[in-house]
Amino acid sequence: MSDRTENLLLILPGLLLLALAFFLPIFQMLALSVSGPDGPTLQHFARFLGDPYYLGVLWRTVRLSLVITLICALIGFPLAYIMARVGPRLRLWLIVIVILPLMTSVVVRTFGWMVLLSRSGLIPELLRDLGLVKRNFALMQTETAIVIGMVQVLLPFMALSILGVITRIDPRLEEAARTMGCSFLQTLRTVILPLSLPGIVAGSLLAFTLSASSFVTPSLLGGSRIEVLAASIYGSVTQTLDWPFAAAQAVILFVGVLLVLIPYIKVTGRAHG
Amino acid sequence: MKYAVKTTILGVSALALSAGAAVAQDKTLTINSFGGAYEEAHKKCVIAPFEQETGAKVQIVTAYSADAFAQLRAQKEAPQFDVINFSGGQEIVGAAEGLLAPIDAAKLTNAADLYDFAKTNLAGGEGPAYSIAAIGLVYNSEKAPKAPSSWKDLLDPAIGEHLVLTDISNGYGMLSFLMLNQVEGGDLANIQPGLDAVKKLIDGGAVVVSKSPEIQQEFAQNDAWVAPYASDYAFTLRKAGLPAKFVQGAEGTPASYITTNLVANRPNTDLALKFIDISISPAAQTCFADALRYTPTNAKVELAPDVAADVAYGADSVKGLIRFDPKAIEANRAAWVEAWKKTIAQ
Repeated sequence: MSDRTENLLLILPGLLLLALAFFLPIFQMLALSVSGPDGPTLQHFARFLGDPYYLGVLWRTVRLSLVITLICALIGFPLAYIMARVGPRLRLWLIVIVILPLMTSVVVRTFGWMVLLSRSGLIPELLRDLGLVKRNFALMQTETAIVIGMVQVLLPFMALSILGVITRIDPRLEEAARTMGCSFLQTLRTVILPLSLPGIVAGSLLAFTLSASSFVTPSLLGGSRIEVLAASIYGSVTQTLDWPFAAAQAVILFVGVLLVLIPYIKVTGRAHG
Repeated sequence: MKYAVKTTILGVSALALSAGAAVAQDKTLTINSFGGAYEEAHKKCVIAPFEQETGAKVQIVTAYSADAFAQLRAQKEAPQFDVINFSGGQEIVGAAEGLLAPIDAAKLTNAADLYDFAKTNLAGGEGPAYSIAAIGLVYNSEKAPKAPSSWKDLLDPAIGEHLVLTDISNGYGMLSFLMLNQVEGGDLANIQPGLDAVKKLIDGGAVVVSKSPEIQQEFAQNDAWVAPYASDYAFTLRKAGLPAKFVQGAEGTPASYITTNLVANRPNTDLALKFIDISISPAAQTCFADALRYTPTNAKVELAPDVAADVAYGADSVKGLIRFDPKAIEANRAAWVEAWKKTIAQ
């Protein structure tokens, strides 16, 4: 048996799994999205792209995903840097603290936020007591609530992606920069940040794709008045039973995420090539 | 999973048949139930008495109305259910498609005691309604400044941000909305008046939820006073320790009928009819009302005062029940849900 056939044999199970569990359903979804009562049609896409309501849903999904990703990066980078630079024992504890929320279900954590953010919940009460907001202030069913909930859900992915890269940066590079007269912040900006960029990009991609396709947290914290694309797809599948339209929305979401992935593949492809 | 279980059961029963145990097959009845607290009550109120009386076994497939109806349609050539329960008017469509068998009222000992609206088309295959979820106003008896009494009261600006509306993708939410629409002068051909009212309510600070547990959350934590919803849910809230009461709106009470239907082309018709008969018996309905606060459809049912206070009880109360045409709802559902979503979007 030549190397080539051996390689093929080894890759076969993985390929089969991909074909059956990924490519086939995606292909079926594509087919469904252009299916009409009399032959193939683009009417579902036209309906989505021609309706300000659905375009608004799409724009909100993209906008919220970008905001969530940005906040995750702003919190995740310093967190990862600290985790990488403390002693091994403390690092272990920090990693446990970051991973711990992943052990509970997203739904349970979201319900926790619902309790905290509701009209008589801890956070609005506190803000009212401090005189910062009016009496009827509530965070539930706002975009802010979605952002808060999603950041908490996605932060571990971001922090761990960046951590993996920063731990591989040689500490002597930092020392060299400091001896050349850089301040701590300048060192961060000119040495650490550029070198940890692959981690930030990978973490951002994870956060963006996960928040663009997330559905439980936005629908529970945002309520039915603040619709995101994933919730809209869910509604078309389960409530109005309009599967072709649901498939068209899913294709639009899929293409949107793909558009974000392509530059990344180009950038990292060069780095590894 | 469900299908896997079913196929196994099919396989096993086929084996049993081939082993010549056809008798055992005759003594098994397959039904659907709705899971959770409902299924518990179903077992206690209907299934246990039936098994005791007939010695037959009942096999439950947990499936909501829409799923059960989809299965029934898929099994058209070889139905697997003997008796099928619906809560969303599916029996009207099912009877029209010939999936359900006509019921001879003479064969049901309890049929004569049912209110007329609960047995409108037995001969056409639409099974009797054995309990009703009445839609009215669920309110917080401690916090609401005054108890609501009519659907018009929902538009009172004083309630404003203490009002909870339910999304019309939810069955009870749909019925509440259609009632509000009717009060505002709309009908099933024109839901714009209802949408305009909802828009006004939302601008006044009303909250929209999409699932019943969220109503509980609003009452428990968000200072909700009033929510148009079902009588059984007011009881759920009270069991959770909240001061919730239910009142029928003066303009009428939309109702969600829970029916029990005979599936066509099955061998054990007599046994299935016996099951349906027990479902509509006074004993079973009293038990359902006690356990879950569903409105009975049998005139002979006598309820304790505390139970009666929570449901539409007695001939006068059930007179006000309104049934919106399920066929019209089904035909317009997708368009209405979209119009609703656009109305409530921020």
